Amino acid sequence: MATPLVRQAAEIHNRSRGDQPIIAEYLELYQQNEVDQILLPEQTQCLAVKTFLHMCNVKFHLKMRSNAEQMSPSKGLPFIKMGPQIISEFEPIVEHLSLKGVSLSGELSGSQRALLKAYMSLTVNRLHLAELYITWCDKLTVEEITKIRYGSPYSWPLTRILPWLKQQEVGRYLEAQGWNNKTIDQVYTEVDMCCKALSDKLEDQYYFFLDRPTELDALVFAHLYNLLTTELTSAKLADIVKKYDNLMRFCERIRQRYFLEGEDGEDG
Amino acid sequence: MGTVYAKEPVINEDAMSNTTDSEDPTEGPGTSPESRIQHIFHGDIKVKVERVHIEGLGRTKEDVILKHVSQLFKAETFKDVIFTSGVVKQELEELDMFQGVGVLIDTSKGPKARQDGLDVTVIVKESRRITGNAHTSVGNNEGSLVLGAKCPNLLGRGEHLTAEYSRGTRHSVGYNATFTTPLQGDIGKRFTATVFRTSGDFLSSSYKEIDHGTLLEVMLPSFLGQHSFKWEGNWRDISCLSRTASFAVREMAGHSLKSSIKHVFTRDTRNERIYPTKGYLLQISQELAGNRLGGDVQFLKGEAEIQLNRKLLKDCVVSCSLQAGLMKPLNYTETLINDRFFIGGPTSVRGFNFRGLGPHADGDAVGGEAYWAAGLHLFTPLPFMPGRGGLGDLIRTHVFVNAGNLCNLNLAEEQTVHQHLERLRDNFRWSYGAGIILRLGRIARFELNYVIPKTALHSDSINAGLQFGVGVSFL
Repeated sequence: MATPLVRQAAEIHNRSRGDQPIIAEYLELYQQNEVDQILLPEQTQCLAVKTFLHMCNVKFHLKMRSNAEQMSPSKGLPFIKMGPQIISEFEPIVEHLSLKGVSLSGELSGSQRALLKAYMSLTVNRLHLAELYITWCDKLTVEEITKIRYGSPYSWPLTRILPWLKQQEVGRYLEAQGWNNKTIDQVYTEVDMCCKALSDKLEDQYYFFLDRPTELDALVFAHLYNLLTTELTSAKLADIVKKYDNLMRFCERIRQRYFLEGEDGEDG
Repeated sequence: MGTVYAKEPVINEDAMSNTTDSEDPTEGPGTSPESRIQHIFHGDIKVKVERVHIEGLGRTKEDVILKHVSQLFKAETFKDVIFTSGVVKQELEELDMFQGVGVLIDTSKGPKARQDGLDVTVIVKESRRITGNAHTSVGNNEGSLVLGAKCPNLLGRGEHLTAEYSRGTRHSVGYNATFTTPLQGDIGKRFTATVFRTSGDFLSSSYKEIDHGTLLEVMLPSFLGQHSFKWEGNWRDISCLSRTASFAVREMAGHSLKSSIKHVFTRDTRNERIYPTKGYLLQISQELAGNRLGGDVQFLKGEAEIQLNRKLLKDCVVSCSLQAGLMKPLNYTETLINDRFFIGGPTSVRGFNFRGLGPHADGDAVGGEAYWAAGLHLFTPLPFMPGRGGLGDLIRTHVFVNAGNLCNLNLAEEQTVHQHLERLRDNFRWSYGAGIILRLGRIARFELNYVIPKTALHSDSINAGLQFGVGVSFL
């Protein structure tokens, strides 16, 4: 449909950025071992990126490495490898792909985009911190699940030392965010408030913005799905999410659309 | 040999003139006009050490000293006594427990003293309980500043406890605490236990390594050479230095635990380490990591080094050295980059950058599992400077040829030894050049060479032309 002139102009525009105009044949997504190592916060981020890539119709290969966290340039997971380039963490990945011309929110207006960013901060801040808290600060979860899983690829005494060091690091991060003094009930309340805000925004729509998914949908789906399905020491988190019907339907909808036929559909 | 004091009473001139070449050492008391006993000493006179006194012992336990001084009782002639005193003094000083050792030889006193009896007094001055020091040390291509504190002779039998903090020019920071003790009172046998933390940047491979570990070592001498048995438990943390590190190195980032035992046999007959002019060095080592010992990494590694030095006419020395190493990962694992071999550099195969010879991935040296390196040098004194005394003694010129190869042999595959050797011979690199070396005491050696690498692979990192190196051991 585009005239040859417009097509040529688009090619010149893409080439002048110095990048290739199309995504490479495949990209590789690196994460920790799904079955016995990965923890709730990382799993959420990985699922968010996978959902986003499915939504953009970008093919990728999933690679699991026990040292994925140390391999990542920012020490955050997941990271993707496109040829020689490596980009880590959800938001930089979304931004990098949009530079390559792959974006879900390209058609949003300015104010909608600002709203999108605001809600992304909401979910990133509240839900992510809640997941970090529950994984690393709730004593029962830490002793029974987290330390064992985090130390599983190593031999003694690293199985003890490394989870302890990571716990100190996460504790410092939560302290900087003002979260380490909260009790577990306060954290559950935070999660509840966050879900309520999301539920109010979603109402009866299919997706958060317009009638097609954006990166916010990917991120919210990842958080909610993992809160519902990850095995923790208590089912409190799943119960909180279950209170909101439209969020439940939203999760089911996205799961059915993107993960039932996909080759990387299974998440634990 | 130090100072040996020997006291003798006044003797008159008659007796003196008779002693110089007398066959009969003792004149006997009867012949002398003096009524008291005269003691006439020269080398072959038969004496017997009756008593040995030891003065100055504080916290040092007696049995340590007794082991060494007891040999004095075996001396038969006066020459023996003096010689043995010198040996005892040297042995006690080697224990590193004393600030100074002195030996005093006197005639026996007292009513039961024999005519030819001697009393020997060993005077020791113990070191302070704790000493501090700051010094620089030179490693290969790196210098560092070391601050340390030492408790010598901690429990009285020659044990030492040392703690050190060091900072190197390659951003390496390290500290360690070491406890060492001689075994069975024998200075040749030592047991050492160390707890350490070291770190270092390896720019040529774009990674940084931080090690925490413990080391237990036993050193035993034997009539063939020195044996050293070591167990090491080491937690290594590798991280990439920059975003542009190659993916092959990035894949190795992370934590690993090495638990290994190592045996090193050394036979060193060279006259000195920095610039040997005669003698040879033979060193063979084997290391086994993992398996039943625990840890993540599992491999078997062997290395050997041989160096021969020979003096030619006048002041010229020809030196030839050969190093080789082979490692095999066990139980279907793969070797990690920080366990592999690396060669190349001003102290290894010259003409290449540090770690520049061997397999590379995207510009990062990744090391190999088998290597050999050889060097042939001819050292001559400076042509225009006199060889004796002053600066001329410290500087030498040398002409050399270096060669080497570093590769992976894939020992798992079915190949004959002949095929493996061919693999090592294929694509080997060599270089030649000349330069001057400057000896820094017996501690280190500076080299400034002009090198021409004659063959190199595309992926090697070469340094043609001037190359400067400082180190302790060179190829």
